[in-house]
Formats: sequence, C-alpha cells, structure tokens
Amino acid sequence: MRLPRIFRTTPFRLTLLFLALFAAAASAFLAYIYVATAGEAARRTDQAILREMRSLVGAYERAGVDALNQALIERAAAERPFLYLLMSPDGSVISGSIGESPLEEFDGQPTWTSFRITELDQQGRRIRRPARGLQQRLAGGEALFVGADVGEDEAYIDTIVLALWGAVVLVIILGLAGGVIVSRNVSRSMAGLIDVVTRVRNGDLAARAEVRGTRDEMDELAEGLNEMLDRLERSMAGLRHAGDAIAHDLRSPLTRLRARLEASYIDLEAGKGDPEHALATAIEDTDGVLKTFGAVLSIARLQAAGSAPNQVLFDPRELAADIADLYEPLCEDKGIDFASELTADLRVRGNKEFLAQALANLLDNAVKYTPSGGAIMLRVRRRSSGEVEFSVTDTGPGVPEADRARVVQRFVRLENSRNEPGAGLGLSLVAAVAEAHGGRLELSEGPGVVGDSGPGLRVAFILPRAG
Amino acid sequence: MRILIVEDDLEAAEAMARGLTEAGYECVKAPDGEAGLVEARKGGFDVLIVDRMMPRMDGVTLIQTLRRENDQTPVLFLSALGEINDRVAGLKAGGDDYLVKPYAFAELIARIEALARRRETGSVATVLRVGDLEMDLIARTVHRQGKEIDLQPREFQLLEFMMRHAGQSVTRTMLLEKVWEYHFDPQTNVIDVHISRLRSKIDKGFDRPMLQTVRGAGYRLDA
Repeated sequence: MRLPRIFRTTPFRLTLLFLALFAAAASAFLAYIYVATAGEAARRTDQAILREMRSLVGAYERAGVDALNQALIERAAAERPFLYLLMSPDGSVISGSIGESPLEEFDGQPTWTSFRITELDQQGRRIRRPARGLQQRLAGGEALFVGADVGEDEAYIDTIVLALWGAVVLVIILGLAGGVIVSRNVSRSMAGLIDVVTRVRNGDLAARAEVRGTRDEMDELAEGLNEMLDRLERSMAGLRHAGDAIAHDLRSPLTRLRARLEASYIDLEAGKGDPEHALATAIEDTDGVLKTFGAVLSIARLQAAGSAPNQVLFDPRELAADIADLYEPLCEDKGIDFASELTADLRVRGNKEFLAQALANLLDNAVKYTPSGGAIMLRVRRRSSGEVEFSVTDTGPGVPEADRARVVQRFVRLENSRNEPGAGLGLSLVAAVAEAHGGRLELSEGPGVVGDSGPGLRVAFILPRAG
Repeated sequence: MRILIVEDDLEAAEAMARGLTEAGYECVKAPDGEAGLVEARKGGFDVLIVDRMMPRMDGVTLIQTLRRENDQTPVLFLSALGEINDRVAGLKAGGDDYLVKPYAFAELIARIEALARRRETGSVATVLRVGDLEMDLIARTVHRQGKEIDLQPREFQLLEFMMRHAGQSVTRTMLLEKVWEYHFDPQTNVIDVHISRLRSKIDKGFDRPMLQTVRGAGYRLDA
C-alpha cells in the first residue's frame, strides 16, 4: 500500500515517533496521578473511620456499652456520614444503621473491609454504592463496626480519569495536526532544495535555492548549497577561461613556429638556408610554447584548487631575503640599483614554493622593464590592517592607470607585450597565487618620472593576516 | 654505465634510449611498472629512469617496492605534470631526483651523471679537492693554489655543488633546485650572473679557467 506523500516525509515520521514517546510518558504520568488521587481519597476515608472508631471506643471504655449504644443512636440521628453496627458477644445486633456486618467471618482482630450498601433513592430505585468499614472487638466482648460511604469519592475519581483520558486524546490529536503542519512546512522547503539539486544534476548550474531569511538550518542549508554552486560555477568558468587562454596563448607562438619551419623547409628545398639555425630556432620556439603552457597550466591548477596546497606558517622576511639574494647580482649586472627593506618578525601562512615563485616573477618583470641606471626596491611590511604586503617597485615605464586593473586579471596581457612568449602570464600567475592564498595584487605608480625614465610600477602582493 | 628506462610511452623511451646509447650508456627498456620491477630485480643498474604514470604499476609503487627490498639504486622520476605535490610524493617514495617532461636532453644527461656519481662517492669527506682548488667544509674556506678565496655563503654552496659534480655538466635548473631549492623556471638569466660572479672569484688571476660554460647545457667545473 502506498501511503500519501505527507506520511512518508521524515518530519512526519519523526512527529509520530515523538508523539508515541509523548503518549507513553503522558500515560505514565496520568497513571501516577490516578494512583495518587485515588489512594489519597481512600486513605482519608480510612482515617476518618479510624477517628470515629476511637471516639466511640473511648465512650465505651469510659461509660460502658449502654453509653456507647446511646452515642450511636445520637450520632446516627445527627446524620454523620458513618454507618454503625454494635453487636453483642454472641453476634446478635444490638443497634446500628445497617442490618448486619458485611464481614462474613470475624476473628476478633480489628479488620478492614470494602463492601457495597444498597439504598433506595428518592424515586424508590435500588442503588448500590461502594463503602468501606472497620470492625473491632470491644473490652466487654461486643463487636463494633464503623463504615463510610465512599461512592462520592469514586465518582470524583472517575471524573478525573475521564478528564485525563480526554487530555491524552487531545494531545494526540494536537500532536498529529502539528506534525502534519510542520511536515508540510519542512517538505515545502525541502522540495525547493530537492528541486535545485535536480536542476543542477540535469546540467543547470545557474539554479539557486531560495533563502527565506528565517536564519534557521534550512536557510543555512540553502545558503551552503548556493555557495557550493557559486564556487563550482566559478571553477567551471575558470577552467573554461583557462581553456580559452591556453588556446589564445598557444595559437600565436605555434602559428609562428609553423610558419618559420615552413619557410626553412622551402629554403632548404631550394638549397639555401641554414638547417642548424632553423632547428635551433624551432627548439627555442618550442621551449617558449612549453613555458607558456606550463604557466597557463599552473594558473589553471591554482584556480581550480581554490586554495594553495601545503600551506605553512613562516617568516616572510627569510623568503624575501632569499629571493633578493638570487636577484641582486642580476640587477647589479644590468646596472640597476637594488635595495630591499624587510620588516622582521612577521608571520604569513602560505605555500613557500608558490610565494617564492610569485616574488621571483615580480622581480623578473621589474628587471626586464627597468632600464640600466634605474632602481628596484623589494619591501616586506605589515599594513595597519594586519595584512602582510610584499612589494616590488621599479623605475621602468610602468603600466598606464587604465590598464592596471586589466593586467591583474587572469590571462590578460597588454597589447605591447603580446609578442614576447610567456610574458604577462607572469603577472597573471602572481595574481593567481595571491588569490589562492586569500590575498590580492595591487598595482600603482612607481616613484614618478625622472628624466626619460619612469614613472615606474609598484606591485603590492598582499596576504591576509595569518592565524 | 647501465640504465633502466621504465616508460610506457614507447616512442619516448626509444628516443631516450637512442640518445643515451649515443652518449655511451647501456640501456634496458621496460614498458610498464611490473616489467620494470622484474628488470630492476635482476640488478646491475647504475640509474633507474622511471615514469610516474604507467599502466599495471605506477612509478611510485615500483620504487617503494624496490626500496622495501633494500635496492638503493638511484632513481630519476619523470613526470608530465610539474606539480609540487607530485615531486614531493615522488621524492618521499624514494626517488632521488625529479624531471618534468618535456625536458632538454642535456638536462637528462646532466641529472643521470649527477645521480650515478653521487652513488660512487657518497663519502663524508670534510675537504673537497678539484685540481688546485681546495674547499674545507668545516672551516668554510676555499683556497686555490694556496691563495684564499673569499666567498659569500651562497657562492660557497654553489661552488660546493660544482666541486661535488666536477667534470660533469650541471644545468641552470639543477643549480636553482639544488643550491637555492627553488623549483620554478625564472624568465631571466639569474643563475648565469651568479656563475659569472663565482667565476671571477675562482678563475680571475689564474692561468687556467676551471669553470666552463657548456653550450646548450649549463656549466662544468674542470680540474
């Protein structure tokens, strides 16, 4: 049998489970109330009977059986809620409000009993009511029975039991109704999420779950799902972009390579040209293509991974000093004044290899574009925001302000550097490394125009506060 | 010298074997990891060249197996992927060096030479001598023909590496990897500048230059 959908939902099943637990707990509670109430009523009746018995026994001991008989008659006449029976030692009735003792056997010990009395009501109908009583032997051998009608107590307890059952039924009805309502609500939000998952599974990566602003876990789930999809979409876009970029960056050098090889081939067929030179050039061109390919691949991998692998906490000064040590002779050789200013005792978290490569790329670029007689400055410092900034400033031609944002974008190169294989990808790789560390790249003008050089470029590689 | 080439790209293996044979090496080829293991177990190789990704048994597993069997033959890993993680995993598995495809042939030869040589020496000498050049590793001093040569720490490391591989070609990439411990390819000739500084210190004023440039490959320190 197939149940209606609502009965198959998890919230409804949970509701049923909790309802069962609740009903069990409520039943136990009600049973306790019943036992306590009924027990208390019986105990009070018994005590009243005992008190009446003591008072009568007291009268007997003070003044004898006739005085007791007198007291019984007075008390019965005073409409006290008790039943009395005084019997002589041989068991015959002396006086009393009931005809005979409800005890069939009496061994002389005080004995409690529950019994029923029969009465005629106002319409003359016989009604039987429950009663309880105590019989005990008096000093002179007579037996005295004192009882009480407990019919009203029982009626009261019956009312309570009925009310309790009503409460249980009400709880179950309300619980079921609540379960249905909650299930419907949850199902509706779940249906939204399931719908999104289904759409994504069918290839619609733009599908997003509705966030209702209730800040509950359903919203959290929806937000998580959306963030996951955003990231997935970015990765896919990154990969697509990488594909386009690889095609773009490799097409022109490959075309050039092919053209040169073809020209050399024609030359060689015609008996002129230098095969050794042609091959050497071809190898050089191929290396350029491979270098570009490697850079593009690294960028794509970093972007696909989202964050750089193997990140450790370390002192950025050591890293910068090592790189400075590597590039300082090159600068000196080119007649460039190299200086570094490295703040001590900073901490950054990152992949040392990627960060070293990023710094090396920045210095490569600076050396490439700074003319002899210029200057390059490598700096590591802490920003007031707590971020750590590596910066390379040169006195080369710089990058026009309009182009700066574009240069940092992935795979974008300035037109005038298009013909140098791999160039420009350097900065893109640096930007990808920064992004993979949760950081960013900022380009600004260098020290300004001096003579015919400048205004220079300052590239700041900013890493977030570590820890 | 005998070399085992474990490489599933048969054309690449053939080209490598041809080149190495011409360079005077004896080559044995294995087309996958399992065949490579069988050949390697026969023993008698000076260097193993092992591709990372292969059918049947990948390079890392192959080398881990050999190392467990206490075979310490130097291993040069080849990989099409130049990722840091790959390199670290390869070296952890017991590889001795790592080369990313495609590579220049001179680079391959230089690395094989370095690996084979390291096995021969493997000594704990405190003084290195190449011709009339002498390096004291404890006192951190260098003398040529008895004259002390003052070197910066990095120049000292560079020269130490060149002396340990005297007579062999070492490439710029090798120097960057082994002396500076960087694994990327600079766009500029940073290494050349360091070498020329070192050269001016150890060769200037002496009748015979020791530090040679090997065209298309790198550098070589000759006695």
